[in-house]
Amino acid sequence: MNPKLNRRRFLHGTGTFIALPALESIGFRRFASAASKAPTIPPKRTVFLGCGFGVTKETWFPNTAETGADYKLPEGLTPLARHKTDFTVVQGCSNQFSNEAHWGSTFWLTGANRFAVPGQSMSNSISADQVAAQQLGGDTRFASLQLNSSDGSASGHGPGLSLAWDGRGKPVAGVDNPVHVFHKLFSADDLPLKQRQAAIAEKRSVLDAVLTEARRVQRGLTSTDKDKLGEYFQGIRDIETRLGKDESWLEIPKAKAPIDEPEPGLKGREEIQVMYDLIVAALQTDSTRVMTYRMPGLSLLQSMNVTLSAHNVSHYSSGERMQASQARDKVHSQLLAGLIDKLKATKEVDGSSLFDHVALAFGSNISSIHYLTNCPTVLTGGGASLKLGQHLVLPQDTPLCNVWLTMLQGMGLNAERHGDSTGVVKELQG
Amino acid sequence: MMSSHKDARGPRGKQAGRTLCMLACWFCGFVQAAPPEARLPDKHRVFLTKHCHECHNSETQEGKVNLQNLPFRITTLEQAELWQKVLNALNAGEMPPEDELQPANAQKADFLDDLAQTMVAARKKLSDSGGKITLRRLNRREYQNTIEHLTGVRVDVGSLPTDSGSGTFDTVGTSQFISSDQFEQYLQLGRQAIDESFERQAAQKGKPRVVRVEPEITVNAKSRAAMAKMEEEYKRYRLWKAEVDKAALAVENREVMDTLRQKYPGLEGKSRVRLYQNANLLKGMPSAKKFGFKDANAADFSYRGGYGRKYAYMKHYAELPHSDRGTYLKLAWGIQRIDVTPNPKNLPPGTYTLRVRAAVVEDSPSFRHFIEIGHPQRVNGVRAGFAGFPISSHQVTGTIEQPKVIETRVAVGLHTQREFGIQERQPTDGKTLRDAYNRSKRDNGYGIPPAIWIDWVELEGPLPETGKSSPLQTIIGRHAGNTAVSDAEPARAVLTAFADAALRGAKPDTAFIDKLLAIYEARRTAGEGFEVAIRTPLSIILASPGFLYLNEPGNETERRQLNDRELAVRLAYFLWSAPPDQQLLDLAERNQLHQPDVLRKQVDRLIADSRSDKFVSGFVHQWLDMKRLDFFQFDVTLHREFDENTRASAREEVYRSFAYLMRDPQAGRLGNLLKSDYVFINGLLATYYGIDGVKGDEFRKVTLPAGSPRGGLLGTAAIHAMGSDGVDSSPVERGAWILRHLLNDPPPPAPPNVPQLSRLAGKAISTRQRLRAHQEEAQCASCHRKIDPLGFGLENFDAAGKWRTTETHRVKVRRNWRNGKSWEIDASGAFHKGPAFSDYFELRDRVAERESDFARGFTEHLIEYALGRPFGFVDEDLAQEILTAAKSKEYSVGEFVQALVQSKAFRTK
Repeated sequence: MNPKLNRRRFLHGTGTFIALPALESIGFRRFASAASKAPTIPPKRTVFLGCGFGVTKETWFPNTAETGADYKLPEGLTPLARHKTDFTVVQGCSNQFSNEAHWGSTFWLTGANRFAVPGQSMSNSISADQVAAQQLGGDTRFASLQLNSSDGSASGHGPGLSLAWDGRGKPVAGVDNPVHVFHKLFSADDLPLKQRQAAIAEKRSVLDAVLTEARRVQRGLTSTDKDKLGEYFQGIRDIETRLGKDESWLEIPKAKAPIDEPEPGLKGREEIQVMYDLIVAALQTDSTRVMTYRMPGLSLLQSMNVTLSAHNVSHYSSGERMQASQARDKVHSQLLAGLIDKLKATKEVDGSSLFDHVALAFGSNISSIHYLTNCPTVLTGGGASLKLGQHLVLPQDTPLCNVWLTMLQGMGLNAERHGDSTGVVKELQG
Repeated sequence: MMSSHKDARGPRGKQAGRTLCMLACWFCGFVQAAPPEARLPDKHRVFLTKHCHECHNSETQEGKVNLQNLPFRITTLEQAELWQKVLNALNAGEMPPEDELQPANAQKADFLDDLAQTMVAARKKLSDSGGKITLRRLNRREYQNTIEHLTGVRVDVGSLPTDSGSGTFDTVGTSQFISSDQFEQYLQLGRQAIDESFERQAAQKGKPRVVRVEPEITVNAKSRAAMAKMEEEYKRYRLWKAEVDKAALAVENREVMDTLRQKYPGLEGKSRVRLYQNANLLKGMPSAKKFGFKDANAADFSYRGGYGRKYAYMKHYAELPHSDRGTYLKLAWGIQRIDVTPNPKNLPPGTYTLRVRAAVVEDSPSFRHFIEIGHPQRVNGVRAGFAGFPISSHQVTGTIEQPKVIETRVAVGLHTQREFGIQERQPTDGKTLRDAYNRSKRDNGYGIPPAIWIDWVELEGPLPETGKSSPLQTIIGRHAGNTAVSDAEPARAVLTAFADAALRGAKPDTAFIDKLLAIYEARRTAGEGFEVAIRTPLSIILASPGFLYLNEPGNETERRQLNDRELAVRLAYFLWSAPPDQQLLDLAERNQLHQPDVLRKQVDRLIADSRSDKFVSGFVHQWLDMKRLDFFQFDVTLHREFDENTRASAREEVYRSFAYLMRDPQAGRLGNLLKSDYVFINGLLATYYGIDGVKGDEFRKVTLPAGSPRGGLLGTAAIHAMGSDGVDSSPVERGAWILRHLLNDPPPPAPPNVPQLSRLAGKAISTRQRLRAHQEEAQCASCHRKIDPLGFGLENFDAAGKWRTTETHRVKVRRNWRNGKSWEIDASGAFHKGPAFSDYFELRDRVAERESDFARGFTEHLIEYALGRPFGFVDEDLAQEILTAAKSKEYSVGEFVQALVQSKAFRTK
């Protein structure tokens, strides 16, 4: 057996932690961040939560006649009442190029035109979270972390491996198992430093070897095929980048888990609950600053004892389906309210709360049923200095990317435009 | 022409000129076809003028939209986007504005119909690759088969991302991608396969083990112990209960009882349980602890969840005859599974035989005469069905007097759970049978009657490996012999030979081997032995691009013919989803494969080989969009028999039906998929369909009794289950499926923003009446007038594909269905602008008459699958060529394949 690759031991998070050896040469460090990188002011973070099939039109959207701070929370949002001054509901936005009635996530954060590239039946562009990751990801162990559910891309999400699409418009992989997310974030690699250094060195030789072979394959290929093989080269480069990062984090132990290891096999509502806990834990320990979560649809309904499919529920009409749709909306709002509670309760080094430094968006490219207009959008957290506590009704078909751009700029990121944005949403700027 | 293949790699000298000239002729077929247009019929100009131009002309340009100069022939992305806007606005009902002149419904439906179809054509045209085949990597299936071919090990590829992206086949290079995570997964999976291959070899040196389980010793003994515990608990419970009953009558508790009565109506009857649960509120009531219970709740539950629930069931089973020498399989409660748990648990990887001696209980329903095999699952230490789906299901045909031994093979891999379980077939979540258990218990006093008796279960293995050894094993065997003195040389030989095999005959650069060797040597220096150290570089080969990509060098300006090695690879991946075997490679080596007669014989051989099952499942699954088959868990109350075993068999039925046609040149007519007087079924499906005289797990061809609705895809459980949501049938899904897959007249993708009609939702009317609303709005009618009538014609099949003559309106009240009104099913209807049919049988006949449309759709899909790129406009001639060839052979399925392989396109980079 190969001891290097297989002897990864995982800590079991039932509150007992293996004491990490004091590393004199490094001295005390903040759990996840290197001392040199440890921020004295809390960093900006961003989170996107995609729910796939949309919401119940009649009971989720506030009355458009009541805007500003003084609006009545519709039924679907009532579980969020205690946070009413801390989130904003935006209406009127959409992605103008979206025509796929079952794709709630593919273009949600990108605003791309599927047919933009002649000769291709599918193209996409970078998602807002990855724009943030490019600028916020340098100082953390993980540049970004994508979460998925076991429902995969069904349940109204559409093609993609997560909500995230990289700079070349290629899908970014995600993790769908909370237990794996936990281990990725918090399980220590207890091999001696020398061995871990050797493992990284070997990985480099592996990359070097396959690159040699890739160059052979590349000979004589047409330019289209070279482009295709370019994806392989890019994959290798990405690993190299990651290895470089691994190396700089090699002597810094992973963060101590602020939560227990999740139970295996959680589905639906329980899964969202535990993923939300993991999001807080990841942000709190500064393991990453950018997260997305492509949430379950079908299994969420199943965990609510609804036997209808997510698609059938999305085609609700009064009766069983509409009740299911409304119940699902409420569960989402309850869970989101719980997440906000946790973000508020988590304290930062300077005494402020994690909530103050997170820019969070909840929603989907699908509004309701098969409508792609008026994408449901809830914004919360103080990270982008947005004006919270309001119901904002923008002109119909305002690019959703304007909202993302406002968020990105609000976080102090360098972004002039995003997707098909035409500008920032002034009304959101605090 | 024949020489050009040889020259494609770059001949020098005076031959080159001639070759070029010949290449030009050879390829003239590619440029001849006049590209079809994406053009909206001119008749719609009136519609536009009348309803759009007033506001959207070049002067007014309302909403910055000018439709006046928008050409009807769509040639650019900009035009497509503008037309898309028109389509969206009309679909959404936004245009024309309410206060403007509205088009008549039929007229609007026609316009929308044509515009939607034109948009589909335009999108196709604008994304057309011009016949270019893009480099592609092995998809999940091919990767798995290729690894198996090289190492003899079948790895679980579930961790790799799926390849079906945006509605194309998993062989289409342009839709594929690869990420850094994926590369790491390839390294990991390759390593797994190599480790397992070594361990399998090592295990072959030992003797096979036999593990035998007598369930009267395991299951029955455990059951008796559980019963004894229940009896003892029940005694304590009764003493405690008597105290509660006494306390409830006491004067001092009158007030408490009044409060409880108010809180729980029916406290004296149905809700009596509330009294016991709240016993601690009663004054004078001794603590439950005195009776050995944690609290009142626990005391109450000891009965409700224990003795009261299960005791009679377990006792009934324990007292059945023959329980002293075997066990009856239980459902819902009690020990439901017989586990084969080897002790110690270290079964080495390999193939094992599993034997079960079993019998059916007389007069039990025949659908219950099946056992399933799986890996046992425990949740919180409690037995809970299988981890994942059953591995296989088996029909039990023995009787108690004459039990029969069922024998099957199971695989144990490096990461397989080393434990097996046997249980009666049941829904994945066995708990869903508890309602049925309760109903049964109300009738007979104990629960579900037994259906299967098991004498013993036996696991034996690993069996000696008899087949041809894998290239990896052969290479290791050949070179790893003498490593005593120096092992660098054998290592180099192993890596070179394995790279040759993995790269499908392409030669790796020495630099690559050198680097692999360096990694090997570093491992040796670190103290690993040859057998271990060699595994790292071996697994790197399995993640290298030459292995992962089906690379074919090409010319920028003109196409070239594939060389024979490339042709062998393309052919093998087309028909086997696996690498070429030695015979193909030898023919390629001798430069004979491209010869039409040789190629033809090879196609016949590949098709006849069982490896082409992988083509059948891979292609048919995607062609017929069968992923929907796995979308839903079927409602257990309504569709008890549609469990994972039925689902697996239903899927297999479709594959077998196709494979039979493909392999039989005489009777292989494609149209048999539309209608046939036979089916391919096993005992399980025969029971499901109510066809007598078919027993056992083997699929076979069975001639149908007269008047059977089965025969042809429209008679299969799979197709109907796909056209449902696990509860009800969906005429829309089914109708659209017929148009898409049988009639080659696909409706455009479901448009966004169409207002949904909810007027009739929830009303106690038939599905057919409910869907009538589709005809009321032009936006819906434009597609649904074609779709719905076909779906109505299949309403005699319920959600799970069982034949029915009535439809019942049902409402779910908590966990239970409440039946409402019933209707006789009316399956009559008419094709949009086409013939009428009076029932399902006539519908099937009308569909069967459309064999040429079916053949056309099949051909387009086959081309896309085989060439690895979307069917394009350049393929018109190719499709025609294939259809002509196939038609001359009575549309024999094999002939489609032959004609495609012989075509220039297939043999061209």
